[in-house]
Amino acid sequence: MELILKALGTLFSVLIYPGFLFVSAVGLLLAGFDRKVLARMQKRVGPPLLQPAYDFFKLLGKETLVPSRANKAVFLAAPVIGTASLAVMMLFLPIFGRAPLSLRADLIVILYLLTIPAVALILGGSASGSPFAGIGISREMVVMMAYELPLILVFLAVARKTGGSELCFSLERIVAWQAEHGPLLFHWAMIPAALAMLFVIPAEVGTQPFDAAEAETEICEGPLIEYSGAPLGLFKLNTAIKMFLMTALFCTLFLGGSGVTVTLGPIWLGAALSALLNTLILLALCLAVTLLCMTLVHAVTARLKIEHLFRFYWTVVAGLALISLILVWLGL
Amino acid sequence: MKEFIVHFPVLAVMVLFLGAFLAEIFGFRSRIARRVILLSCVSVSAAMIFALIPAVFLRGEVLTYWMGAWEPAAGYAIGIGYEIDALGLFFALLVVTTFCLSAVYSLRYMERDRHLGHYTTLFLMLCGSVLGLVLTGDIFNLFVMVEIMTFAAVALTAFRGSSHGALEAAFKYLVIGSIGSGMTLSGIALLYLQCHTLNMAQLSAVLSGGLTPASVFALGLMTAGFGVKAFLVPFHTPAADAYTAAPSSVSMVFSGMVNKAGVYGLIRLVYTVFRAMDRESLQITLIVLGTVTMFAGVTMALAQHDFKRLLAFHSISQIGYVITAVSLGTVLGVSGGLFHAMNHTLFKGLLFLCAGAVYYAAGTTDLDRLGGLSKKMPHTTAFFLIGAFSIAGLPPFNGFASKWFIYQAAWSRAVSTGNFFYTVVTVTAVIVSVMTLASFIKVTQAVFFGQLPAQLSQVREVPLTMRIPMAVLSLGCLAGGLFYPFVSETLLAPAAKAVFTPSVYIDAMMGAGTAQAAGVTDAAAAALAVPGTWDPVLWLILLVIVLLAFFLVILTGEKTRGAVLDDGGQEDDGRYATFFGGERALPSHVSGSDLFWGFRKNWDGYFRIAQGLHSGRVNDYASYAVIGAVVLIIVIFLIFGFR
Repeated sequence: MELILKALGTLFSVLIYPGFLFVSAVGLLLAGFDRKVLARMQKRVGPPLLQPAYDFFKLLGKETLVPSRANKAVFLAAPVIGTASLAVMMLFLPIFGRAPLSLRADLIVILYLLTIPAVALILGGSASGSPFAGIGISREMVVMMAYELPLILVFLAVARKTGGSELCFSLERIVAWQAEHGPLLFHWAMIPAALAMLFVIPAEVGTQPFDAAEAETEICEGPLIEYSGAPLGLFKLNTAIKMFLMTALFCTLFLGGSGVTVTLGPIWLGAALSALLNTLILLALCLAVTLLCMTLVHAVTARLKIEHLFRFYWTVVAGLALISLILVWLGL
Repeated sequence: MKEFIVHFPVLAVMVLFLGAFLAEIFGFRSRIARRVILLSCVSVSAAMIFALIPAVFLRGEVLTYWMGAWEPAAGYAIGIGYEIDALGLFFALLVVTTFCLSAVYSLRYMERDRHLGHYTTLFLMLCGSVLGLVLTGDIFNLFVMVEIMTFAAVALTAFRGSSHGALEAAFKYLVIGSIGSGMTLSGIALLYLQCHTLNMAQLSAVLSGGLTPASVFALGLMTAGFGVKAFLVPFHTPAADAYTAAPSSVSMVFSGMVNKAGVYGLIRLVYTVFRAMDRESLQITLIVLGTVTMFAGVTMALAQHDFKRLLAFHSISQIGYVITAVSLGTVLGVSGGLFHAMNHTLFKGLLFLCAGAVYYAAGTTDLDRLGGLSKKMPHTTAFFLIGAFSIAGLPPFNGFASKWFIYQAAWSRAVSTGNFFYTVVTVTAVIVSVMTLASFIKVTQAVFFGQLPAQLSQVREVPLTMRIPMAVLSLGCLAGGLFYPFVSETLLAPAAKAVFTPSVYIDAMMGAGTAQAAGVTDAAAAALAVPGTWDPVLWLILLVIVLLAFFLVILTGEKTRGAVLDDGGQEDDGRYATFFGGERALPSHVSGSDLFWGFRKNWDGYFRIAQGLHSGRVNDYASYAVIGAVVLIIVIFLIFGFR
């Protein structure tokens, strides 16, 4: 009986909250929000908030075409694997100290799990056999090399700050440290790292000006060029989920803490209410971060060339992260 | 049974050498005799090595065997002794796994070559020498094995002498390899002069009395010598040519066990014989070597146009990881390094076999002339992807698990010592990992996906006996990643313990109490504890749940999904005239060497220098090796404080 309940609980976590359904819904909402605010900044009316969700369901109903040059199995499996790995990733992020399923992961694992959806996109594009996709995947890979250096520097700065002279890659411990000492963002030595992380997010998600890999106007969405129907919808969903995951990761690393605890009525009601409240707070923070690092930047900049993008990340962004790491290393 | 097992270590080596002679006598005419000799020798040898697992890994014994029962008398070891501790057996397991799979693979892979009797002989000599090298307890015997290994490897490199560059590659290997062997031999001679013994256990006991300048010189010479055998930068130069020119079944053996022999020698030397790793400056020297090796290897790999040459540079790079990790001097670091050595044997062997399969099927390994093979060779593609994911360190494959060990070991050194140098090492390791991923994406795109050139339209999947070794290695890659706690408990922890307990090694060989009498005490090494949390099995289960949910949705959906859009090879079809303006589609396969332009452009200066240094001239390479060795020896002298 207990086993069945546990299995049901696991299923619920994986498929509904905070797994697949939850991240999809929130991700699509964030994407809609991004588009709406962007439109308002450009003095357009913009699509309704739910437009990305409408698009996704519309694409599900469309015919799926597979080019004759494509490797059908990889071409169709890639988007599914990408989405699934993203959905599972959310289970590793503690929502204000409470990791569902008591799944724990450390920063290195997160760093590598984040590469799986990117590799899925690359393989899918590669398997389509289109030359546009060939260019797209090469750029996607270069973008990945570009942001990996600042990302690991940020992670190490966080680990050094929270762990001191101990190895501390565990997200739970990082959140616990912040609950005690206040969010990392408010420690001035970490501010450059937070800025660097804010730059990493749009590159990881692939929004303008760091969207050289998909560049609609030059290479017709690169890896996605041959995709149609449900697989295309899944890739769009991936981007939306990534938006949420990356901003949530930012919140965990820099704005973490114990969250709020409600003690109301029976234990289960209090727990449910505090989970709900914490989730809502996380959502609000994610919205703010999205607005800051994606929508605003998107509205005022044009797309970077791939070689400039790489240089930008390895000099400016990595430099910011390195400043933090050195400051933290000096004990500040 | 027990009295037979005592003889297994030496028999396992002898069977292979015996097979080499038999193959020369009976194998030059008859294919069946050749195959019977090859397969029976490797399988008997492997079975004997596997039979040692219970004693060494489970019961924690150290097995010894004295040739002709010449046991030490009056505290002096005169005869040749074999000593099998967990470290030696760990490497022996890698060796037997590699040569068994390579032997099965070569049955069909080599069928179009001539002089296969000689191939079998050389192959068995190579296997026997590496196996003897990791099992022996005598340092001169070790040198003899190194020599047999080098010359068999040189001859196998030149085996396809008619193909482009094979003789040149063999010549380079011969020259650089001889420099390494010469240095090793001089080092051994100096040690013999100082200590009057060649037994490694006794050497260790004698050297605990303090190092003379001559023995420090010996350490420098032998470190450089084994560095050549492990192909560390700047001694790595012959590796690229040799791995490329040799048949793939041999390239697999090279990267699976020949360069591991150098790694093993290095570990044995600095940890057991000299016990010098408690000096942090020596650790840092070796870590610098390792880190430079992994970085130089991967960047050179990014610039390659040939499948096997690219793999060769990745071999160099991955050995850099191994050396970096074992030089960290902590239990976690050594276990991570050994784990990565094991994983490298699995995934690099797999990748070389895939390259061989491509060569067998398509007749070339040039990335610019291949493409679209995934439809013709679906199994090879799947195996290749597993190998590529493993080497790039994607969870849940084995490369991730060992790299994860290494990052944690490097970072915990960084924070516990407060030395920023280790942070640089950690960051370099992560960046090298993503560059590895990039270059395998390049191979994937250039060989297996993209467009199929017209001349490759007749390509067919390789025969079953070539696919079986690939399948076995793929399973190994997956299992090693999923069940890493099991691997680290049963294999890595005993092997790492053997590295940190030289007194056990000495006592087993020279009799109990020798180590204590010589003043050898083991530093209290912590038990292997992996600090992080990562449960790949659970992760995979969750992933599968989500995937199942997807497939349920897809199965219940409409059945008309997945129509094939036919646009291939029909440029005359008017339907597409709108899109192409009536023109024929442009030749549009993006070939491998053009990928990552945005990256290359920023590194132009670096690549110009690096490619200029890899000039291909053997004179240059020999001078790098000599200069590198001289610098290394000077550094080691400085570390030990003789001026």
